[in-house]
Amino acid sequence: MYMVLYLFRLHVEHVFLFSLLIYPPSLLNFAVNILNSSETKISLSSKSGGKVHNSVVGGDWGKGEKGDKIANGGKVPVVKAPLPLEFKIEHELPENAKCLMDCEAAEILQGIQEQMVILSEDPAIKIPISFDRGLQYAKRGSHYTSPHSVRRVLDALKQHNVSDGEVSMIANVGPESVEEVFALVPSLKGKKSKLREPLKDALDQLAKLKHST
Amino acid sequence: MFFHIVLERNMQLHPRHFGRDLRDKLVAKLMKDVEGTCSGRHGFVVAITGIESVGKGLIRDGTGFVTFPVKYQCVVFRPFKGEISEAVVTMVNKMGFFAEAGPVQIFVSNHLIPDDMEFQSGDIPNYTTSDGSVKIQKDSEVRLKIIGTRVDATEIFCIGTIKDDFLGVISDPGATS
Repeated sequence: MYMVLYLFRLHVEHVFLFSLLIYPPSLLNFAVNILNSSETKISLSSKSGGKVHNSVVGGDWGKGEKGDKIANGGKVPVVKAPLPLEFKIEHELPENAKCLMDCEAAEILQGIQEQMVILSEDPAIKIPISFDRGLQYAKRGSHYTSPHSVRRVLDALKQHNVSDGEVSMIANVGPESVEEVFALVPSLKGKKSKLREPLKDALDQLAKLKHST
Repeated sequence: MFFHIVLERNMQLHPRHFGRDLRDKLVAKLMKDVEGTCSGRHGFVVAITGIESVGKGLIRDGTGFVTFPVKYQCVVFRPFKGEISEAVVTMVNKMGFFAEAGPVQIFVSNHLIPDDMEFQSGDIPNYTTSDGSVKIQKDSEVRLKIIGTRVDATEIFCIGTIKDDFLGVISDPGATS
């Protein structure tokens, strides 16, 4: 068991070092920090009495001594991620921020791209990469034929205290069932009984507005 | 997620740009300075959609530059914790896989990939279920949930999971029947 853990650790470190070549350490440190948080602890139930080599540069992977102590101390509990109670993104943005569905953003960015075609003939003007990627992402996430109709259908849910962010997320996901909505937007679970019927109606109407595949 | 917001910025203009095209030059400089940038609060500024107002210029002492406060509308892209996103896989390795959702990079660790999917190394590294029915490889589209975000000077990096219900592969470029 000790050899297995030792070999596992070495292998992980090699892959991590490989990743360092491509992605900067600061980003991978962040990734490791998230993984080491209570939501994603790895269960190391075996007690490793042997030494674990610690040759990794930087990051929490490098805290071999602590890892040994944790392993020696017993189980690291695997804690299931607590569900986010509220998807209140509006608090983090300026008050004038309007949440856009992907289909609405695709419409706006498409219009801008048509103007940019003229501008792009000027070699001094460079179209940013984030614009192309943003437009591609918006088009891919756009499931509906008419953004205005989608907005009209989903705005009806706001009467039931569904926030703008939650409405946009429902539109972006393109759910096929009410259960899918509650699973993907857990902040709505608190109002499950009140929202079930309005959501079902909204999804039925959205199904008619989806692109035919 | 995309947002349409109004932002304000102080634009400095050199006197050589003054003249009848002052406003056009101000707008061009704004677009050049702002589009494609990223901030922690607003995310990526994807495109400027309009100019709300241009305030009175203030001459800076000792230089000759004039500062104009400009209010502009723009489309920004900012990921949030708890958001569901559809991303395209860009790289797969034993630690997990990297995916892109718009201008944002997302990493999904192998600990946040369902246990029945295992890493297969080779020419095209991938994660595959034991029966081979579901595969995650480069260019696959996956639906994931963002569980953490971090902002650097020029980009946003996220951590995601596909271990929950209704998450996982949407389409596989190398799907075989």
